[in-house]
Amino acid sequence: MNSVPVVHFLYLAIILFGIGLFGVLVRKNAISVLMGVELMLNSVNINFLAFAKYWNWSSLTGPVFVVFVITIAAAEAAVALAIVISIYRQWKSTNVDEVRYLKD
Amino acid sequence: MTNALFYIIAGIVLGSALLAVTLRNLFHCALFLALAMFGVSGIFLYLGSEFLAAVQVLIYVGAVTILIIFGIMLTRDVMNDHTRVMNNQVFLALITALVIIFMSIAAVNKSSFPLTDHPSAVAALSADTAQAANTRTADVYALGPELIRPERGFAFAFEFVSILLLSALVGAIVVARKDPS
Repeated sequence: MNSVPVVHFLYLAIILFGIGLFGVLVRKNAISVLMGVELMLNSVNINFLAFAKYWNWSSLTGPVFVVFVITIAAAEAAVALAIVISIYRQWKSTNVDEVRYLKD
Repeated sequence: MTNALFYIIAGIVLGSALLAVTLRNLFHCALFLALAMFGVSGIFLYLGSEFLAAVQVLIYVGAVTILIIFGIMLTRDVMNDHTRVMNNQVFLALITALVIIFMSIAAVNKSSFPLTDHPSAVAALSADTAQAANTRTADVYALGPELIRPERGFAFAFEFVSILLLSALVGAIVVARKDPS
């Protein structure tokens, strides 16, 4: 019924994680960095559900972890965007390499 | 047929994710992020988790992407046409991402996963999933009691996540509001 091998789901998750990591490392705008983090969290969710499906479908541990990951990702996005808006109000910039008040 | 569907959805996810991290216009980035999230929810459907696919659409496409678009609009005039969208570490970041991708793929290729290594296991798997499908699936009727069943130990984490979500809500309001002084 379902003959895509599990490693293909893992490949998809790995490449999606790499794309998200590239976005986190390379973008200047803090909101773009946040988008990269969301992509990385989604790739982890794909991994959880792939193993939940192929390894032990009846245990439901994978879907429960996906629920937790989605919840924490939503909380993280809300707080991070609040911080970005607060930073923009103070410095008129959302570039992560210009806001270096803690460093200097 | 259904296999081809998986590869089409995977291609959409990867392509729109790549566009979401490389495009100039932040608004287009957010829209491609929404498309990637839709694709991931399609992958969830393919993996048989209808409830989580619906949750993915509701929360990521419906809430997180809209929140990001609001954030882009509230910080609007930072990106004009002549600013660079990427910092000067593009080459290093590309190497890091590619090394992590290829090392992880090599590790996956070297590992053996008990249920899916040989065809007999695949046959047993499909019989097992068919048998499991009419007993318990990851639908909402099974997932809800699983979260709060005492012997599974998720109840504390469930309550903790509820408190985390509430405090994130309050914290976001406190951080983002205008300073009264």
